[in-house]
Amino acid sequence: MSVLSKLKETLICLKAGRVTLPYPAQAQPVPEKFRGRPIFDAAKCIGCGGCANNCPAREILVFDVCQEIRILKYLGRRCTYCGRCADVCPEKAITMSHEFENATDKIGDIQQRLELFMSTCQRCGRCFKEPSPLEQLKLKGYRFDDLQNERWIFRSKAYLTGEAAVDDIKIELD
Amino acid sequence: MILGGLANVAIVLLVAPFFQGVLRKVTALIQSRQGPPIWQAYFDLLKLLGKEDIESGETPFMQRFAAYLSLATVLTVACLVPMGFAAPMNGAGDVILLIYLLTLCGICTLLAGLAAGSTYSLVGISREMMIMIALEPLFAIAIVVGAVHTQSFRLDTVLNGSVYTTGGFPWSGLIMLAVMLLSFQAFVQRVPFDISEAETELMEGPLMEYSGPKLALFKYAQMAKLVIYSGLFVTLFVPWGADLMFPLGWLLFWAKVFALVLLVTLVAATHARYRIDQAIRYFASLLAVALVALVLASYGF
Amino acid sequence: MFAREKLNQLKERFGTAIQRADQPSDDRLFVFVEPSAVKAICKHVFRDLDARYVVSIGSDDRPFSGKFMVAHNFAFDREHLLCSVLTYLPADNPKVDSISDVVPAANWAEREMRDLVGIEPVGHPYLKRLVLPDGWPEGMHPLRKDVPWNHVPEEFNDEREFKFDDPPAGCTVVPFGPFHPTLDEPAHFRLYIEGEMVRGCEYRGFMVHRGIEKLAESVLTYNEIPMMAERICGICGCVHNVAYAQAVESAVAIRPPPRAEYIRTIMLEIERLQSHLLWVGLACHIVGFDTLFMQSWRIREPIMWIAEKISGNRKTYALCLIGGVRWDITPELKAELRQVLDKLETEWRAVVAAVSKDRNIQKRTRGVGVADRNLVKNAGLIGPVARASGVDIDCRRDHPYAAYRRVDFNVITENGCDVWSRVLVRAKEVFESIQIIRQCLEKMQDGPLQSPIKDELPVGRIGLSSVEAPRGECHHFVITGENNRPRRWRVRAPTYQNLQGVPMMIKDQQLADMTISLGSIDPCFSCTDRLETIDLKSGVTKVWSQEELVKLVRARAKKT
Repeated sequence: MSVLSKLKETLICLKAGRVTLPYPAQAQPVPEKFRGRPIFDAAKCIGCGGCANNCPAREILVFDVCQEIRILKYLGRRCTYCGRCADVCPEKAITMSHEFENATDKIGDIQQRLELFMSTCQRCGRCFKEPSPLEQLKLKGYRFDDLQNERWIFRSKAYLTGEAAVDDIKIELD
Repeated sequence: MILGGLANVAIVLLVAPFFQGVLRKVTALIQSRQGPPIWQAYFDLLKLLGKEDIESGETPFMQRFAAYLSLATVLTVACLVPMGFAAPMNGAGDVILLIYLLTLCGICTLLAGLAAGSTYSLVGISREMMIMIALEPLFAIAIVVGAVHTQSFRLDTVLNGSVYTTGGFPWSGLIMLAVMLLSFQAFVQRVPFDISEAETELMEGPLMEYSGPKLALFKYAQMAKLVIYSGLFVTLFVPWGADLMFPLGWLLFWAKVFALVLLVTLVAATHARYRIDQAIRYFASLLAVALVALVLASYGF
Repeated sequence: MFAREKLNQLKERFGTAIQRADQPSDDRLFVFVEPSAVKAICKHVFRDLDARYVVSIGSDDRPFSGKFMVAHNFAFDREHLLCSVLTYLPADNPKVDSISDVVPAANWAEREMRDLVGIEPVGHPYLKRLVLPDGWPEGMHPLRKDVPWNHVPEEFNDEREFKFDDPPAGCTVVPFGPFHPTLDEPAHFRLYIEGEMVRGCEYRGFMVHRGIEKLAESVLTYNEIPMMAERICGICGCVHNVAYAQAVESAVAIRPPPRAEYIRTIMLEIERLQSHLLWVGLACHIVGFDTLFMQSWRIREPIMWIAEKISGNRKTYALCLIGGVRWDITPELKAELRQVLDKLETEWRAVVAAVSKDRNIQKRTRGVGVADRNLVKNAGLIGPVARASGVDIDCRRDHPYAAYRRVDFNVITENGCDVWSRVLVRAKEVFESIQIIRQCLEKMQDGPLQSPIKDELPVGRIGLSSVEAPRGECHHFVITGENNRPRRWRVRAPTYQNLQGVPMMIKDQQLADMTISLGSIDPCFSCTDRLETIDLKSGVTKVWSQEELVKLVRARAKKT
């Protein structure tokens, strides 16, 4: 009968008690493998650009100021917290932290910018040991991503022709 | 007398949001969650009253009128219902006036939906109309049974457990008690019979174009309806102890109303909403039973 | 065996129309045919050989072979075979005979082919725009290789409105969506109502199309696509992740190691558990029973926590790479998972026992949203919707993938064809999923998580993969390509197919039942759309007039 099943349902509810967690009044710890905001460690980073090449959202830009200085910028807008950057980094310089309360109205809070001194290898990509041929560096040599407008430049020789490079696929190696 | 009426109105205005809060809190407990604080309904009303008064919908004048009328009617009924004391404005009206005013409350929702003029609100009021046609007679018959037994239309005689005042075993009274219990959810517009305002199907139905202060009036009217209908039910069907000395009798009345509100909450939390045709069939069968009770009453049972 | 036989029969019957055939493995068959014979062959396969229609795909192959390509995919469930009928069309005249009159389920796929690739299905019964927004200029087809991925057409016409069909005589129009409390995602059903009965409807959707297929072909690479694929859906992302990885693996003959296959199976079943529990709650909310909604979501919560512990996120597991998985299940996690499953099973049994006798819910769900076996075959319905109509199909058993060959489970079917049967199917599948996970935890052995990939992937290979999502069969079609990315990737989510059956399901039912009928296919519009956000004038029109409605109400009051 319907009344009996209603009573059974009510008993299920009352047995469970109150399950609401007191968040945000109390902090809610996350499990160890939680993929929160990636943190870049400039001390360990060798500037290989493997993270930039393997970010599905194209949110890591690389810009060579001159032969010795390379800027790596993590924009964080479309970051999907997938963790591929941390996977492929040869120096384990990227950790997926436990921070998930990332809402802010100043994008600068999330962006991270690393200025790296490149001593030996600026061009050949040899220092990046890819896990498989599917992660190989596609753009070797000088990189000139558009930091001003915050987007990837696909053609590596764009700076020579001076045009805004929006087309893709033809990848040139120096 | 007038002071008595005003006191009733004040009590209803004060207490209605509290019962709403109790209803929400108990529902939350059953659903294993924390729920809003008991005073939340007061905050909601204050918030709504403070918002910008937007005039949307096709006939703004009628919208305003419907909002004022709904709260006004409900509060007028409050003057007539005995709440722990004798009915305050006894001489001002009788049970016919009571039935009329209660029907007027329902009509205000229809006016509201008609004034809004959007597809969903029109579908909502058509459902509301169907429900009203099937539902209001039930309450009217309960009152008439009481009137038949006591041979009077006066508020203080009818609204005092009159359905049971027969010579022998009060058959008609008990039948009407069962009928009213089975249909009470519809009077106070709760699941399983809140069909005209089904959120997931009709986007709030007749009240769709309401926001801000006008919505506050409607919500207040709905909350007050819960209290008033509970009060009417208690005085008609569970009147024992009404003639105790002042604090006891009054407290007992409110305790009974509280128990009824809890019952409403329990049923609302454990049922799914019915479809309009299923609901109409249900009320029609209850109506048939109520008519039997009326016939019995006229024969003195 | 079966494939070879059927191929020989086709060759006998159609002769030279069959140009060549590939059978890379026992469960895959690719038949290349002449364009003129496509319709006859598809009709033969669908009607005479009784295959199930899966999807039709159009692809711009001009940079590689100089032609356009069309593929019609079918499934032989009992014989465990996925087959594809492919044809090449000349670049200057991409027209092919439409198969929608013989295979009604192909209706949307052919319209999408026309919108996005520009291949014209000649003789299609209902050639209206499906995917592209109203103002999109004619002649510009986004999935063609000469259109850049981030191109914004200047000729976009803001003013052009979608022309809706006229309602049948005697019906008024009630618009349902795109904004509606029941739907979490935008979709527009234009209902033709007579009184309180629905007599028909017109669907306009694809408002959250995000251009994922174009991105995959232009910008992303093989190992980045799984992370985007799982964002196709808000609930069942893992399915797309795994199906894509499997399609590529099938195309290039890579097999992930056994431990990876077990982990994929476990995560897929975890996803099925949380999706079914979510759905039962949602269905109860739609009929106004909020308490059961809260309770089933409370019971569901520990699954989300364990998924977060294993993969790092409650929903986007980011699980697969080509040839393996990224996360391991340690012995502690195994023990915890077992505990969660035990508790879940006990609690869910209590709920199912209480609900199956509950006449209040049954009154709202029995006899509602009926989809009989004929509709299932013609519209190509899949998943719990088909199983609730007595059609015994399930990709886990019919086209086994990951570790499903190594576990035993039952496929739950019911015969009611209505919403209540779908509730029962999903509620009982929860127990089967729990059994599968337990068996996987038992049988899993230590080993690597990733197969080594020595070279770049070969180019131009075709891969198909069907995965049983909680909503039905999720089918991915991949053609491998240059530059470390696919040439063509087509996602056919289960709701894509099930939505085509909804207009028939809600016909001659009450307006109040429309939401629960729609909800019973467990619609996931994001999966269906997969698209590109452009501002769209929604075209909602209000056709009720006051006089009409008052007349209507009086007529009905007379009846009551």
